[in-house]
Amino acid sequence: MSGGGEEHEQLKQKARPTSTSPLPGVSSASTSSAAAAAAASVASSGGNGRATPEMKRSAVRSLIQRYFHQLQSGCGNVHCKNTNCASSGKVPPMTPNEVAARALHLFSQDAQLCDGAPIANSPQQDVDMLSPNDSSSSSSNSSTSTITSASTTTTTSTQSQSQSQSQSNAQPQSSMEQSERPLMIIDLVKMPTMGSQATITTTTTTADDSDPCTPTLPSVDFVDAELLEGLYTQCHAADSYERLCQIIDHVFSSVDRLSKSFVCRPGQERQHLESKSNNALNKEQLRQLEGEHDKDEDSTQRTATPTELCPASTAADDSHVAENADEADVDDDDNDEDEPMTQQEQNEEFLHRGTKVDFRGLRHIKRLLFGAPCQTIAEQITSSVIQLADYIRYMRLYRQDSWEQVLHCLVICFDMATNTTANNSVTDMEYLDRVLPKLCHAAAAMPVQAQARLAVIWSEYCADQLHTLLSSCQQQITLQVLLDEESVRENEHIISVTKVLKIVFYANILASVLERPSCRLPLQEVGESEADSSASAVEDGEDLFVYNSLQQPHMPKFAEDPLEKCLQVSYIDCRSPLVPLEEFYNEALSEHIQMHQDYLSYKTLAMESDLGSSHTNYFCFMLYAFILTPATKVDALYYDCRMRMYSERYSSLYSILQNFGQDGQEGARPDLKLTVRRDQLINDALIGLELVAMSNPKDLKKQLVVEFVGEQGIDEGGVSKEFFQLIVEEIFNPAFGMFVQQEETNNMWFNATPFENGAQFTLIGIIIGLAIYNNVILAVNFPMVVYRKLMGYRGTFYDLCDWSPTLYKSLKAMLDYQGHDMEEVFEQTFKISYSNVFGELVEHELVPHGSEVLVGQHNKRLFVNLYSDFLLNVNIQQQFKAFRKGFEMVTDESPLKLLFRPEEIEKLVCGSREFDFVELEHSTEYEGGYTEETQIVQDFWSIVHAMPHESKRKLLEFTTGSARVPVGGLKCLRLLITRHGPDSDRLPTSHTCFNVLLLPEYSSKEKLEERLLKAINYSKGFGML
Amino acid sequence: MTAPRRLRKELVDLQESSLKSFRDIKADDDNLLRWTGLIVPDNPPYNKGAFRIEINFPAEYPFKPPKISFKTKIYHPNIDEKGQVCLPIISTENWKPATRTDQVVQALIALINDPEPEHPLRAELAEEFLKDKKKFVKNAEDYTRKHSEKRPAD
Repeated sequence: MSGGGEEHEQLKQKARPTSTSPLPGVSSASTSSAAAAAAASVASSGGNGRATPEMKRSAVRSLIQRYFHQLQSGCGNVHCKNTNCASSGKVPPMTPNEVAARALHLFSQDAQLCDGAPIANSPQQDVDMLSPNDSSSSSSNSSTSTITSASTTTTTSTQSQSQSQSQSNAQPQSSMEQSERPLMIIDLVKMPTMGSQATITTTTTTADDSDPCTPTLPSVDFVDAELLEGLYTQCHAADSYERLCQIIDHVFSSVDRLSKSFVCRPGQERQHLESKSNNALNKEQLRQLEGEHDKDEDSTQRTATPTELCPASTAADDSHVAENADEADVDDDDNDEDEPMTQQEQNEEFLHRGTKVDFRGLRHIKRLLFGAPCQTIAEQITSSVIQLADYIRYMRLYRQDSWEQVLHCLVICFDMATNTTANNSVTDMEYLDRVLPKLCHAAAAMPVQAQARLAVIWSEYCADQLHTLLSSCQQQITLQVLLDEESVRENEHIISVTKVLKIVFYANILASVLERPSCRLPLQEVGESEADSSASAVEDGEDLFVYNSLQQPHMPKFAEDPLEKCLQVSYIDCRSPLVPLEEFYNEALSEHIQMHQDYLSYKTLAMESDLGSSHTNYFCFMLYAFILTPATKVDALYYDCRMRMYSERYSSLYSILQNFGQDGQEGARPDLKLTVRRDQLINDALIGLELVAMSNPKDLKKQLVVEFVGEQGIDEGGVSKEFFQLIVEEIFNPAFGMFVQQEETNNMWFNATPFENGAQFTLIGIIIGLAIYNNVILAVNFPMVVYRKLMGYRGTFYDLCDWSPTLYKSLKAMLDYQGHDMEEVFEQTFKISYSNVFGELVEHELVPHGSEVLVGQHNKRLFVNLYSDFLLNVNIQQQFKAFRKGFEMVTDESPLKLLFRPEEIEKLVCGSREFDFVELEHSTEYEGGYTEETQIVQDFWSIVHAMPHESKRKLLEFTTGSARVPVGGLKCLRLLITRHGPDSDRLPTSHTCFNVLLLPEYSSKEKLEERLLKAINYSKGFGML
Repeated sequence: MTAPRRLRKELVDLQESSLKSFRDIKADDDNLLRWTGLIVPDNPPYNKGAFRIEINFPAEYPFKPPKISFKTKIYHPNIDEKGQVCLPIISTENWKPATRTDQVVQALIALINDPEPEHPLRAELAEEFLKDKKKFVKNAEDYTRKHSEKRPAD
């Protein structure tokens, strides 16, 4: 028994001489766990001592820890009677410091330790090293307690001595440090030229910090990866993380301190940016193509303020300076434009200032700390960040540089949310679930400029995290929706996460390859020079319709997105977003949103903006259309159309009442009535609409009512549906001559040499508009570029992809051709040819004297752009202008552009493409021994009819080369199924040229299904089978 | 007469190269986009005759591939009764604008000489070709004798 006591004494005596470094000042304020720190110091100072004392030391340490935890957390036994155990309820509330002091005291008295008191954080081996007596409990050691207590008194006294010593030692050190530290921060931020020096300072202070003897805590103004890792290693060795937690709390809960943390050292920053620019070469190239040299100018400006740039880049910048000097010479004549340009440049500069967050270090540390066996660290970070986020949310800062600090913090906190460890997902999830909503509140409270900066930073540094961030946000929203189905629209969590999603949305676009030059240029500007002057004169003369195009059709002014405006970017330039935009739809939210109420908010906002009041508390999801599914947005559009119809009807009724009884005054009709004869459908409809459009275009916005002459049907929707169906069939019939069907895609395209004048195209535009406005789906096959153009964008090279895939591929092959013999290989001039509707060859020079200009490496891009522009814009300019005008006459006030992307508008017009395979079966022919009755043919159809939509689409593409349904439906395909030998392992094959499917006579239905699915799912490229 | 510059050059080049197996190359007088020529195969069973083909170039040539059809009837698994032929090199999937017409013609001649029964247009001929080669050769020879054009003297 007494052996244990002696051992205690012994090791304490041994500990004295070894611990030359003074013991921690228990009384010296802020150390939250002096006990732990003391143990740590004992352990660390004796690192190179012999094994036995170290083991003893760790025994002491673990004992002190047990006292500490018993005081703080208790033994867990509800009936505990120990006055020194928290579970007994007899321990008064104390600060961690007091607890630590008390623990030391108890240890010296060898007070009672509860059985089975949880020894948090102490690995088992520590306990094992104690003698069994000790570990079992010292509570029974009452006999020895006197001896030990006597000896411990001496120890305590020496301890207190050393304490005072330590304090006197520490004092000058800390004061020195305090004088040093602010300097160092300035070093780091303001004087990158001294980067290496600053680094040294950091490391030295790191060492100081981690030395638990110095009461440095109040002066820890920032942390970085190195410091935290060092601290973690020490805490890990000491098996107590209190100190780490404390520092984390100190730094992570303060904007001021966190904004100084995880700052890239100048060298690192450069490295990071370099590797990034390598990855994003494509984007950079595009920028360069655009001639965006203002960036370089920015960087030269930045060298003047050394806060921004590292010394290493000065050399590179010198060359930029030279370049810029040249450019300045060249640009001299543009001097007048310099003033407005600088404004924009400043904005650009501001947006692309980047961030100095050291992501590599941050992510490393995040993984380390969240992967730690001790969860208190992660918990500490979580609660500190929540505190920080709440602070940011409610603080009101008006200076821009304070937002810079906030941005730095938010970038760090969001990155910690998305960058998850593989092995410890529980703590990660905990952080995500608790912190993300708070962070979203904070980010949503930032001004637009800061949000724009956040979007740029995310796109440039954290593009790989966007997908995770998006899905985390979506989960938050979905969760909130499920918790609170009734008041989804008022739920502030949902609202702020939605606002953050918008930032993510734009970051996603910025991170993708953007098309340059932008296709956002107004259509009118394009090809103005090429526009045939005589043609436009004719058109002016023939223009029957009085219609002044709205400045911005389909997009109410108030609903413009300030973030989009600030970033100068649009999804329309982004052909293949990094994260598919469909993933921004939130099904749960869309389902529960109650669109009529959201539409009311929208209307309120519209009214308020009309009245000039700008500040409003209404939140309207329609302004965050990316999160709504198309079906929900269709609802919104439906309400909008109905509202307009009712208001038109109301005013007409009013005018009828007013004019009642007056001679010759016929009041306006409350609806738009068309009376047509079946055999003269087109003519009657066109003349009827022409009359309305000429006399009172506003009437087009009334509800359409169609009446067939001699028929009694009352139009409740069904009659007009039939009307649309019939009229579309007729108008798009190539024989009608206004549209041609493109052979390759079955798409309809404007006849470049039409027999009809522009007015006819206007009428067709009206019809399409009416169909949308009256919620009728049309069976039209336009290529996507038509919908983009309807929304006011230009057709560009990328649009050829679904306009004519072959042409697109060929031009792409031409662009990709790198040989310098391009002129000889292609022998292509700037004169192109196409065949018109009569099959005649028509030639066109893309540039003056184009037939003499050969396409080579230097001008191939120009050729492709001009060629695309000619086909998609210039060649059909008159027709399309008329068509679009008609469309706008009906829909210009509908928020189409606000709500829908062009691909969604297509869905709006055509509905989802359903494939009628029953129709296809009826029209299919058989050859090579197959008939309708053959077993395998019957199996084939039963398999096909059971297929999901996507597989049907693939089968269609497999056999016909196009997933598009031809005009007139699948029955016009004339599929031919041919026997391809007896049962074998061969896959089915096809001849897309002639819609032939070659099917071996497989032995079983199962085999047929397996082979067929394999064929359609793995068939890319010709003849790979 | 208008035609893409490259097409005119390709026509001249082909005519001057005087291939043994593809001769008599002419463009229509009123349409340079339509060429005709005579395929003279080397391998049996087609080496007893010659076959007239037509090559139709689209207005967008070389950004869209030409189309080939047989004017002379031929007993071949890869060419159907209407004379249509499915040639991978000029399929829309595989077409490259740098591909020249002489390459297309070489590919066609190779297909005639060595049928590809794996991708038949006439499944019954492909089956015959695989199962009863003798019968196929005899039928093809008879057919060639009956329908094909006379081979040039040299």
